[in-house]
Amino acid sequence: MRATPPSLLWLADGAGAIAMAAALACAAHFGLAASSREGLLTSLAGLIIAAALRASVQVAATGSGQKTAVAAKHGWRLRAFRAVLTASAGSRTMLGEQVADATDRIEDLDGYHARFLPLRFAAGATPLLIAAAAATASWVAAAILVATLVPFALGMILAGTAASRVAARQLDILGRLSGLFIDRVRALPVIISFGAQERVSRHLAEATQEVATRTLAVLRVAFLSSAVLEFFAALSVALVAVYCGFNLLGLLPFPSPEKLDLGRALFVLVLAPEFYLPMRRLAAAYHDKQIGEAAMARLTDLPPVPIPDDPSPATLRHPPEIAIGGLVVDYGERQVGPFTLDIPAGCMTVLSGPSGSGKSSLLNALLRLAPTSAGAIRVDGQPIGDLQGQVSWAGQTTTLLPGTIADNIRLARLGAPDADVVDAARRAGLLTLVAGRAEGLATRLDTRGSGLSGGERRRIGIARALLRDAPLWLLDEPTADLDRESADAIMHEIRQAAAGRTVLLVTHDPRIAALADQHVSLA
Amino acid sequence: MTGSGLQTLLSNASRAQRRSMRLAILYAVIAAASAVALLGLSGWFITGAALAGLAGIAAVQAFNYLLPSAAIRLLAIVRTLTRYGERLQGHKAALLTLATVRTDLFQRFVEAPDLARASGDMAATLLQDVEALEDRFIRTPGMLGSLAGAGAALLLCAAAGWAAAVALLIIMIATLWSSWLLARRLLPAPAHQIQEAIARLKHDVVEYGACSAEIVAYAMRETVEGELQSRAADLDRTRLAFARGEALLAAVVTLTGGIAIAAVIGLSDASLPMTMLAGLAAAGAIEAVGAAVRSIGREATVAAGLQRLAGLVAKTHEPPLEASGLLGIRITIGTGADAIAMQAGDRLAITGPSGCGKTSLLTCLAGLHDACGLPLAIDDRPLADWPAPGRRSLFALSPQDAQMIAGTIADNLRLARPGLSEAALWDALATACLADEVRVMPQGITTWIGDGGTRLSGGQRKRLSLARALLAGRPWLLLDEPSEGLDVATEQQLKDNLDAWLDRTKTGLIVVTHRLAMLALAGRQLTMIG
Repeated sequence: MRATPPSLLWLADGAGAIAMAAALACAAHFGLAASSREGLLTSLAGLIIAAALRASVQVAATGSGQKTAVAAKHGWRLRAFRAVLTASAGSRTMLGEQVADATDRIEDLDGYHARFLPLRFAAGATPLLIAAAAATASWVAAAILVATLVPFALGMILAGTAASRVAARQLDILGRLSGLFIDRVRALPVIISFGAQERVSRHLAEATQEVATRTLAVLRVAFLSSAVLEFFAALSVALVAVYCGFNLLGLLPFPSPEKLDLGRALFVLVLAPEFYLPMRRLAAAYHDKQIGEAAMARLTDLPPVPIPDDPSPATLRHPPEIAIGGLVVDYGERQVGPFTLDIPAGCMTVLSGPSGSGKSSLLNALLRLAPTSAGAIRVDGQPIGDLQGQVSWAGQTTTLLPGTIADNIRLARLGAPDADVVDAARRAGLLTLVAGRAEGLATRLDTRGSGLSGGERRRIGIARALLRDAPLWLLDEPTADLDRESADAIMHEIRQAAAGRTVLLVTHDPRIAALADQHVSLA
Repeated sequence: MTGSGLQTLLSNASRAQRRSMRLAILYAVIAAASAVALLGLSGWFITGAALAGLAGIAAVQAFNYLLPSAAIRLLAIVRTLTRYGERLQGHKAALLTLATVRTDLFQRFVEAPDLARASGDMAATLLQDVEALEDRFIRTPGMLGSLAGAGAALLLCAAAGWAAAVALLIIMIATLWSSWLLARRLLPAPAHQIQEAIARLKHDVVEYGACSAEIVAYAMRETVEGELQSRAADLDRTRLAFARGEALLAAVVTLTGGIAIAAVIGLSDASLPMTMLAGLAAAGAIEAVGAAVRSIGREATVAAGLQRLAGLVAKTHEPPLEASGLLGIRITIGTGADAIAMQAGDRLAITGPSGCGKTSLLTCLAGLHDACGLPLAIDDRPLADWPAPGRRSLFALSPQDAQMIAGTIADNLRLARPGLSEAALWDALATACLADEVRVMPQGITTWIGDGGTRLSGGQRKRLSLARALLAGRPWLLLDEPSEGLDVATEQQLKDNLDAWLDRTKTGLIVVTHRLAMLALAGRQLTMIG
């Protein structure tokens, strides 16, 4: 348990509570004397000042806790974002769950770091401080406070372990529910066109109801531990009050170990609830702890951020020769392969084959985005390395970043002069498409690429491949869904631009296959 | 539209949980009152005991200590039990009510969906915004409890004289009022922004996650990660602003607590035990008010969520119209001499350059939207006479993107129509040329196909989508590039199968395609121009 700035501030809050209790005791002392109105008023002023100090310490503690949370979340995000961006297509975890990990699960850590951890420190240290202060007035009362801790701790252990067991399960269920909602909303056009709304809604209703019922079971146990806490907090006030009362009356059933006066008695009485306050605050943050720890258990399964890639990753200086030997792509439930083929340098190799034969998996494997269980890929005789940034790629989806259309094309080759970008756009047939827009290539996009047609997106992707002009080209059905004329035009451009490069093209179109230097059919 | 549609939805959903809510409120009132009484009574008891102790043995004997000390212990137990009951019943009411609310909202959304809306965004509304509402349900009993606590404290304070009681009342009102003002100024904006920022972040993660290959190919990962981190930083900033605002509210309570104790003691004209009783009761009162202040603070989050939810309900409140008299025996595309008129069972192929509107013609006919691009008529009445939801019963669409739900092959096929037998599923798979491939999959027809069908290849998804459309049993089949991603042999087989199936079932066909094999399937061809 580390004493971070927010946890020390929460400890200072306990000191403020002691000051308030002392001021109140002084007020009672002067009230009893009935002579010193001035002393009474001074004590009351002290009480207000102590309260003001305490208030400002609380504000500072909260802000400081929030800042530590930001730092902690940043570290997790590095890993979670990386995991999403390098996930293999076809992995069983639903994309919704991965998104939940990178967003919701990390937000779950917010309260854990901002509130729970600082309060946990305070819950350990502040009661000791309070008990020590109480002991200066009445060591018996302090002993009573400390003694109630023993049954309290036992109760918390019993109730707490049961709660954390169910809580971890609960989080998994919530993650799956979130994935389910995202998936069904995404598939909405299909659901609607088949009139399956009612059936899908019913399924979601059952899932939601089940989650609610299970959550309730978790709470039943979680509240039990807070009830234990409440009970001992109330009991400590009651015991201290009764002890002090009987001591003041001189009616204790045992020889009085100390002689109290009103000021001392009130001081310990007011401190009694403060003794348990940090633990009650901690209990209020218990939800933060549960979801935070469960989130962390999920997040630790994420691969660690790799040490910054090789300072000098092997660069492809010339069109490579690629040899794939016995490669098996293994998605767990489904396997494709083994594939064995040679892709000669500087040639266009077309890959075709029945659907499901693993063509796209093979392309992904070259980018190390597919889980392989056997075989190897060799590039120019060397085991394949990280080809990041060394490939001209065109596929079914296009990554759009905020910026203009031209900026987005330029992502393929940072610093490329405008003329090159315009040329790539022209060759990809994008210029004619955006001619209708007032700003043409300077049209600004948000991350959603709002307002772009499917054809425009596809052509931005192709323009990138042309602009990058890498030694290796990987093309995954670059002309699918395009009409014959556009497809021919684009293939003509690709054929010209990629002449002399190593090209691996996946297609079903026999006319495109006919353009190839080598044609491989996967069984 | 205001939130009235939403209010109806909420109150309908909460009706079933009314009993739990009432119990929660009852427990909350008892818990808050006994908490105040416990503190006040303890202060009185100690002070009284001290005075009696000072006054000598006779006073001690006259002092009734049994009753108050027993009452103190009783109050401690009552406070514990009722608080447990309050929390449990309150959460029960909230959770079960909101499970219903979530489902109702989803249902409304699918009845008249906003298909342009991103899925991550929508899921955030259904999960997080509704969760924020949960907070309001849970806090309702606590709010009433704190009123009860404040009332109990005022009663106890009255023992210290009217000046002290009035001062306490004023301080309590001032606390609530200033918290309300502060909350209104500091919290709604960040509360709203937090949810927006989460939705934005989630949306971007979804979008970029689908582009991993391109991101690796162009080494864009750091740029994309930077983009995501800056979205996340926006979120963190708004969280900090919100946390500061909440802390300020809590600080107000701490400060006014000190002022209340000082004021009540300073203004008391009663005996010292009564003064101490009033002083400590005042402390308890402000603590009770603190619960109300926390609720005020939370209200900002709730309001932000409510606003978005109300928008959702407003957009989707119209019930689906039944298109009476829609038979679909005659479909006309275009007007005048160029018009193409089709009778039930006819077949048409649509070709044309990309972007000329072929896909939107199909999805429009299928009732997903009303922007068809061409004049259309069904049963000799213009399309405008047939609202989109009604049209859906005529057409079975296999869309271009062959959208799948996360589930098994059978789950996806069964979307088509309720009550399908397994034999029917296999028949459809056979017609779509997919049966052989499914048969050799590890779990056959119950094979999990991943999120959006990503475990299937593009061509397999296309054929599964086609099989699903066949199963719907509608008079018209709408196919968008059905053989895209297929090898030539399979494509030919598919064409033959479809030909036979269409003849057998007397189903009409409109197919968008560039492929010769599929063109041969249709009797007529419509070439659209951009």
